[in-house]
Amino acid sequence: MAWSIGANDVANSMATAVGAKAITFKQAVLIAGVLNFFGAVLVGPHVTETIKGKIVNTGMIVDPHVLLLGFIASLLAAAFWVTLATWKEMPISTTHSIIGALVGFGIVAGGMSSINWAKVGHVAASWVLSPIAGCIIAFFVFKLIVKLIFAKDEPVKYAKIVGPFIIGVTAFLITSSLLLKTNLSSILGVTELPHVLVISAGVSIVVIVVAMFLLRDIEAKSIEDYATVEGIFRKLQIVTSCYVAFSHGANDVANAIGPVAAIIPLASTGEMSPIAQIPPEILALGGVGIALGCLTWGRRVMKTVGGRITKLTNTRGFSVDFGAATTVLIASKLGLPISTSHTVVGAVIGVGLARGLEAVDLGVIKKIIISWLLTVPVAAATSAAIFIILIAIV
Amino acid sequence: MAEKKNHFRAPVSYTYRRKAPFEQLLNHMEKVRECIDILGKGLVKYYKGDYKNFSEVAQRVSDLEHEADLIKGNLRAHLPTSLFMPVDKGKFMWALREQDKILDHAENLVKMLDMRHTKIPKELQDVFIDHAKLVMKTVKAMEAAVENIRDLVETSFVKREREQTKKLIHKVHDYEWKADQKKYEMTKGIYKLEKKLDPMDVYHLLKIADWVDDIADHAENVADWLRSMIAR
Repeated sequence: MAWSIGANDVANSMATAVGAKAITFKQAVLIAGVLNFFGAVLVGPHVTETIKGKIVNTGMIVDPHVLLLGFIASLLAAAFWVTLATWKEMPISTTHSIIGALVGFGIVAGGMSSINWAKVGHVAASWVLSPIAGCIIAFFVFKLIVKLIFAKDEPVKYAKIVGPFIIGVTAFLITSSLLLKTNLSSILGVTELPHVLVISAGVSIVVIVVAMFLLRDIEAKSIEDYATVEGIFRKLQIVTSCYVAFSHGANDVANAIGPVAAIIPLASTGEMSPIAQIPPEILALGGVGIALGCLTWGRRVMKTVGGRITKLTNTRGFSVDFGAATTVLIASKLGLPISTSHTVVGAVIGVGLARGLEAVDLGVIKKIIISWLLTVPVAAATSAAIFIILIAIV
Repeated sequence: MAEKKNHFRAPVSYTYRRKAPFEQLLNHMEKVRECIDILGKGLVKYYKGDYKNFSEVAQRVSDLEHEADLIKGNLRAHLPTSLFMPVDKGKFMWALREQDKILDHAENLVKMLDMRHTKIPKELQDVFIDHAKLVMKTVKAMEAAVENIRDLVETSFVKREREQTKKLIHKVHDYEWKADQKKYEMTKGIYKLEKKLDPMDVYHLLKIADWVDDIADHAENVADWLRSMIAR
């Protein structure tokens, strides 16, 4: 499961960077592997919690044996469905499959009341909102780039100032997400909100200065030297690609690990304790799985997807990356499992609406909505079926 | 199993077109450029009474027209309603259509010239050549305006680039107006000689004047559609 996520979803989120030629395939795979791992381990627990214990009301199903089988069934159903979708090249999301599968098993095992419908409602709402949020953020970031750089008389000069500032914001968001309510923050002993903000601000200032220092030698060759502007953003996009990979790890690791995190304590102690912490080892396992996935298969997927979207220049890719990654990271902090790839699509459309792309095919929206309507019931049904079979066998 | 097929789920890849519309409009424009270069040189030689190799010029123009038609067809076939573009799709298609008309007229013109070698009277040669040159300049100015689309798209249509395109469009209008004036001069000249000339010659000379001038008219139309395309 983690492998499949690594292979497909990572490629989805990194393809913009590769398509914009900001990084090579090899770099993309490496960045994705490493940062997905860190994202998963450091910011992953929030979403994993949700998948593990908040969709199915585990208190309602008393028999730990049933619970164990149920989680296994969900994992199998989701894995099966994702594999099938991959083979058929349907734009479905792993997140949606796993949630659907959990709901399916929950209904069969404990009836309608065992599902935490309010939480499912939140999650479903976040699926609609996340592409929209990605779209809005990407729209404004791109508009900002146009207003503050392209509309100026010396675009290159302004690119050297504005670029580092946006990178600074990125650094601020990453650091604060790292320090707010995570394992790392308790290790470092930084828990107070003002502390976190001060540290994050400090880090972002350092990043801004470093970025400006690195860009100091770039000079415009002519007044309308847009190629140089793109060149600056090519460098900056390396940072946002890392941002995407990190956020992706933080959110999607839960899809694979959430059920496992529930299974392991059940199998070893025979008890489900909703308050139990998610052991970092399991998150690490998920991180490694994702990293392996993108190392082995991701290259091929990225090559194809990246090759298809070469029209995305660096300023556009930068806006897409920033919009998508910010949305996904915030969702991760809120414990909402969302689809990274759908958020990326939202962000691309956002840039398109800001008149940033030659053409955006809005038909993709229809495809995504169909996949929403299809994935959840089908995954639920599959998971329920597998669960019934498992119960019958065991 | 199909080995060549890559299996993956990638909604992002559905968002894009393999070929971007503006890029194709520019490719189409390249065909116009090539065609008009050949036609311009061929026309001057023809006016001077040198009909050698004119059939080859006609063939080349015809080939280019066909190549451009393929680009146009492809572009038309791949603009579904779900496609979102930064400019009005209808206006975009009109610009393409007018650009294509330049080639259609060029082809008609060379075919006709090739069918009947009409001698241009000595007195009119200069004014004919001047007219041809003005028409070519109109098309050249249009090419420059269309080419600025690249910068427009890159900067997402900022004011500075729009103003630049507008200036380039004004040049097209200037040349087109001058070409028109030359055309009236030509027509007047032809009528002056009507007693001396063979009626069939008069007919053809008038036709040449019209058809060459049509090229400039369509170049101007492209510029006009471009103008309304980028207007906010």
